[in-house]
Amino acid sequence: MSGSLAAPSALDRLRGIARRSPTFALGFAVLLVFAILAVFADAIAPLPPTLSFPYETLRPPGTGRFVLGSDGNGMDVLSRVIHGARYAFGIALPAGAIMALVGIPLGLIAGWRGGWVDEVLLRVLDVLRAFPTIILALAIVAATGQGFLNVILVVGFLDSPIFARIVRAEVLALRQATFVRAAVAAGNPEWRVLLVHILPNAILGATAQLPLRMAWAVRISATLAFIGIGVQAPAPEWGAMIRQGAEYVISGEWWVALFPGLALIAMVLGLNLAGDGLSDLLDPKRRATGK
Amino acid sequence: MSASGFLLRRAIVAIPVVLGILFVTFMLVRIGDQDPVAMLAGPMADAPMLARIRAELMLDQPLLTQFWAYLGRLVQGDLGRSWQGNAAVTHEIATHLPATLELVTLAVGLGALIGVPVGLHAAERPNGWFDQLSRFGSLFGFSLPTYWLGLMAIFVFFFLLGWAPAPMGRVSMMVTPPTPITGSVLLDSLLTANWESAWSAAGQLVLPVGCFTIVATAPIIKHTRAIAIEVMGSDYIRYARACGFPRGVVRGIALRAALVPVITFVGSEFTSLLAAASLIEFVFAWGGLGHWGLNAILLGDFAAVQGYVLTLAIASVLIFALVDLTVLLLEPRAQARA
Repeated sequence: MSGSLAAPSALDRLRGIARRSPTFALGFAVLLVFAILAVFADAIAPLPPTLSFPYETLRPPGTGRFVLGSDGNGMDVLSRVIHGARYAFGIALPAGAIMALVGIPLGLIAGWRGGWVDEVLLRVLDVLRAFPTIILALAIVAATGQGFLNVILVVGFLDSPIFARIVRAEVLALRQATFVRAAVAAGNPEWRVLLVHILPNAILGATAQLPLRMAWAVRISATLAFIGIGVQAPAPEWGAMIRQGAEYVISGEWWVALFPGLALIAMVLGLNLAGDGLSDLLDPKRRATGK
Repeated sequence: MSASGFLLRRAIVAIPVVLGILFVTFMLVRIGDQDPVAMLAGPMADAPMLARIRAELMLDQPLLTQFWAYLGRLVQGDLGRSWQGNAAVTHEIATHLPATLELVTLAVGLGALIGVPVGLHAAERPNGWFDQLSRFGSLFGFSLPTYWLGLMAIFVFFFLLGWAPAPMGRVSMMVTPPTPITGSVLLDSLLTANWESAWSAAGQLVLPVGCFTIVATAPIIKHTRAIAIEVMGSDYIRYARACGFPRGVVRGIALRAALVPVITFVGSEFTSLLAAASLIEFVFAWGGLGHWGLNAILLGDFAAVQGYVLTLAIASVLIFALVDLTVLLLEPRAQARA
């Protein structure tokens, strides 16, 4: 069966997804642009991001070589904004991976086994609910050291209980499902029931949540850099750039803070749109009632 | 069950959560590499003096002993001293909290006033043009960093247009501040009929509250819409429609059902904004609790960080209790269950 008659081309598939959820398509397009910027930053950016022209500080956009102006160190704002995409993906991808790799197994076990794992998870969730994560992230990064790796770890682990909760709820509902009980009765080992029968059904909600939580990760790491902990100043990170720009806002040099902020908003909005659209695409109930 | 019994039970359930939060922050601020003793003693201190300060602060004891001692003092209402200002943490919290409450209450109040009607209206026609617009708008609001929004607002309204006052605190330095009664400069000015400072305080509030409201409204729109859509799809609404009630009556029934989850959500929103306020306070030099707590975290001021986190945790417990109490009053089903 070559299936040349029925199988739609990749392009047709994309078109179908775009028609069913324009939100997702828009978010995906935005992320694609940022991905290209991040990968080819060296080729696209007109100047190296940390190259300083000491006699050309705070030039407004459009003067000479500075398309979007230069900052207080005489570095090119445009090049720095482009390179900032690397930091954004540098936090979103690994933090997302940690959230999923820690949270999903935790939720599976807590939902399936119950017992003390479940009890501990619920208590941790209680604490997290009463404890604003931003303050927690701040305190941990401030206390344990300020490297980028540290920010990634803190953000990833702080958010993994959210995944655990989503997966746990799905597993609890699935545990009593006929097909699961049939699989157990047929003598499947426990790991097989969990991985083959439950996991694929329990993972949809968490998948749609992933871009939304990545958006949160990008926001938090930029916020930390803005406050002055985490990534430090000469590095082309958007939050750190806004921090630099903050001191020039009152004296009228708006471009230093404006452009990294716009990039940050676009990236976070792209992730949020993708996540929102993905939950439409993946949730059969919403799909059925949506149109 | 009576309301007081209900509150008592809530308090008992809340104790382990608050203890857990305290324990985590207590350990967190102490595992760091910040050494408060060297900072406190200054560059002139010699080794015996450092040791004396260390012993005074009990920093030479095991961590668990320290935590136990902290709890002992906590029950007596002593949160220790802040090292930045060398003042009692309880005093610092009392002076800084009203400024933050003023900001957050206004932002959440305005956010609910805007967000709830917009969300309800969007839910009337799911995927209609208004729904799509409000959905994009709320996703956009979700993606805005508050601090950046604040900076841009300062640039446009202070630097460019000159409409807003300088982003420095809660009342202009040129006017006599009112005698503190509630702690909110605006309220105090109105109460003492100090119109000049009331006008100044209101002017200082506009920009931070405006920025904060935008950020507060987005999630309220999103959740109100989701709640309203779920209610509108429920069987009893279909039944009410099938009975042929006029639209207004059906809407009234739906509104009453949606009220409880919406109130719950707005309550949780209040808690999270209480913490998020630190950023907007930072940008506008607001001098509230968030600003103070942020500085404490940055400086490694142990007692102050713990006091800040404890205040946030207790506030969150109180707000959730208040929300549940409101729900209890509004919903007969919850009364029957309790």
